[in-house]
Amino acid sequence: MASLTRRGLGVLALGGSLTLGASLALGGGAQAQAAWPARTVSIIVPYSAGGATDILARKVAEGLSGALGKTVVVDNRPGAGGTLGTALAARAKPDGYTLFLGQVSSHGIAPNLYTELRYDPVKSFVPIVFIETIPNILAVNKTLPINSVDELIAYAKAHPDALNFASSGTGASTHLSGEMFKAFTGISMTHVPFHGSAQALVSVMGGQTQMIFDNMPSVYPYVTAGNLKALAVTTLKRSPQAPDIPTLAEATKSADLSRYDVSAWFGLFAPADTPRPIVDRVNAAVNAMLKEPGFAKFIVETGGVPEGGTPEDLGRFADSELKKWKTVIEQAGVPKQ
Amino acid sequence: MDVITNLASGFEHALTWSNLLYCAIGCVIGTLIGLLPGLGPLATISLLLPLTYSIPVDGALIMLAGIYYGAQYGDSVSAITMKIPHASSIVACIDGYQMTLKGRTGLALFTAGVSSFIGGTVAIVVLAFLAPLLGQVAFLFGPAEYFALMLLGFVCVSLVTTGSLLNGLAMCLLGVLLGQIGTDLESGTLRFTLGLAPLADGVSVVSVALGCFGIAEICRNLDAREERTPFNGKIHLMPSWPEFKRILPSALRGSAVGSLLGILPGGGPTIAQFAAYAIDKKVSKYRHEIGSGSIEGVAGQAAADEAAARTSFIPLMSIGIPENAVMALMMAAFIMKGIQPGPNMIAKHPDLFWGLVASMWIGNCFLLILNVPLVRFWLSLFKIPYSVLFPSILFFCCVGTYSVNNNLDDVLITAGFGLLGYVLMRLSLDPAPLMLGFILGPMLEENFRRAMLLGRGSFTVFVTQPISATLLGFIAVLIGVQIAYAVMGIRTHRSKTSDVERPVQTTAPAAIIKAPGL
Repeated sequence: MASLTRRGLGVLALGGSLTLGASLALGGGAQAQAAWPARTVSIIVPYSAGGATDILARKVAEGLSGALGKTVVVDNRPGAGGTLGTALAARAKPDGYTLFLGQVSSHGIAPNLYTELRYDPVKSFVPIVFIETIPNILAVNKTLPINSVDELIAYAKAHPDALNFASSGTGASTHLSGEMFKAFTGISMTHVPFHGSAQALVSVMGGQTQMIFDNMPSVYPYVTAGNLKALAVTTLKRSPQAPDIPTLAEATKSADLSRYDVSAWFGLFAPADTPRPIVDRVNAAVNAMLKEPGFAKFIVETGGVPEGGTPEDLGRFADSELKKWKTVIEQAGVPKQ
Repeated sequence: MDVITNLASGFEHALTWSNLLYCAIGCVIGTLIGLLPGLGPLATISLLLPLTYSIPVDGALIMLAGIYYGAQYGDSVSAITMKIPHASSIVACIDGYQMTLKGRTGLALFTAGVSSFIGGTVAIVVLAFLAPLLGQVAFLFGPAEYFALMLLGFVCVSLVTTGSLLNGLAMCLLGVLLGQIGTDLESGTLRFTLGLAPLADGVSVVSVALGCFGIAEICRNLDAREERTPFNGKIHLMPSWPEFKRILPSALRGSAVGSLLGILPGGGPTIAQFAAYAIDKKVSKYRHEIGSGSIEGVAGQAAADEAAARTSFIPLMSIGIPENAVMALMMAAFIMKGIQPGPNMIAKHPDLFWGLVASMWIGNCFLLILNVPLVRFWLSLFKIPYSVLFPSILFFCCVGTYSVNNNLDDVLITAGFGLLGYVLMRLSLDPAPLMLGFILGPMLEENFRRAMLLGRGSFTVFVTQPISATLLGFIAVLIGVQIAYAVMGIRTHRSKTSDVERPVQTTAPAAIIKAPGL
């Protein structure tokens, strides 16, 4: 019995420690800066443990722990399509002990999709460092007589209303990639949303749906195993992990896709007013990590392209994303939530 | 035989000292979170994930898997003893708790433990011999097939209802409505959230189950003024031979159902327990006793949820698809270890897969020891006076609900469901059909709408697919048979009671005829 209670408390304490970083408000201001970090730093991830964002955050936390000499933990705050955790990070004390792993959703799509957002993607955050971009892959069921983007467009025109594209959820980049494709090529296809990309992929392989735009790491294993046919990557540059897959722009003769550029991307942010020296120190640490073979290899193996650069680089990129998704969402007529 | 040589190499991996240790640690942690009310494997595994960074990949997998199936193994204990369920032991609150009230806690726990062992064993056999093949089953199940399967689940609602059928259906509908709370998958519209941000993702099954069963039961106990001690020190674990013989058929049925449902993405232990219970209520020799504390009511669900927990590794290992949140965490552990899950996991990493299968076998024996002979020691916890026990149970319930999303609002939502559960209990309404509606409702709706999307608004999609057509046909037969029974029942009833009933029957139409005149 005693051991039972103690074990329970242990689990509790472990749970507590993950959230302490976010909730405790210690120090702050100029005195704290000199000694930063004096205690555990937490990275808020607005999704549950186990997803792509979480996995990257844990790798970054592992590396930052070494570079900063203090433990860096991941604080999963899932909910409301990631906006709950983002809002939480936006309101956190800007003392450098709360960082935020921003992505295409929090700083690109969500601000254009949700009407009642409790954060401002530009004003509530300071950018720290761009980490990586991950292309989406356009893949189709292997039994379809479609082997290129042009054939896909021709097929869709010959069989109107025959194509269904699966996505990991309404408003996800996997959904909006499809909507954008429709807008650029003028073909019609039906969006079928699933809970997460695993279910969506199963439906493409099972043949209930015909195609999917999905993040490289989740779809690529099925391409290499021959379960799905990859037609193109959705970025302007080819992926270093799969250089044989053409870009949408290269692969399409029958439509102009030269401006089609969609990627899932990740960057580290902090609440607005976080002191510049802290931002610079984290920026330098992550840039150094991106040059380490281990971390860079991890990013490439999970389908990404390492980025890096100054805080301003991330700021400019996030601004352009915000504008891009505004246009896409308006053109696609996705209802605001 | 291939399987035998593979298994032998698997045991070679699993029987190293370090892997045995990881397996034992996993099983012990799993058993503990299974015993503690409110805590689930999902939160525990996500907390322990960082610890696995420094462990070799096969050891980490063995340990995390041990936590998962270990938690399913012992999860009936709190449901049986205190009516506090985990998401996968909701059904144990019905018959298991009834057995406790009858003073047969020991027998119920023994039944649950042995049935879990049987469920685990059957699932391991399935895993070892059929895993690569069964992975493909996932591709056969599209939206129409899932819809038909969920509908079959709803037809079973009458089988998990104790008491009035009308009440049961009403509760089931209430559950369906509760399941609608949150963001609509297709349009992204918020439904029934009352403008409250915490409801945007709906309510979690943990909140509803803990509230409606556990917290409500605690309130009821506090309400009853009499002094009640749950265990007077004597726990008879061993059943008599005739009792033991009753465990077997139910446990085997449960194992089969659980193994099957575990393979389907979206299925898993939560649904398997209801299916096993419903089947027992339909075909068991002792079906008239189920609902009032019978061995079958405990054995089937315990075996099913354990079997489902283990076969849910099949989609992950054979096609790289995580079928529930815990499996998604396992996948994250793989990725962090540099292994990309995908369609050829078993072929690419045979040592990992067969090591896991072998470790499950070893874990099964660990768990049997932890759960059957040692359970009396765990249970001494409940000798604590209620004045101390209740607050601590509530405390763990709070920790459990908080840890799912690290969100305080979830604790308040659970408290709200505690209140609802208490009101329902006072009204003698059974929350089990509510849970069934809550779990199946959203899946039914989602798959129905997806199927209609794919069928471009035509209902024919449900009958043109062989699997869904078969399932729907089965449902039709089931309902037809029920109606036929009911009609025949009325006829025989009428012919038997001729004189007594007649006056009642003549007055009834008279009353109806009168009504318009009034």
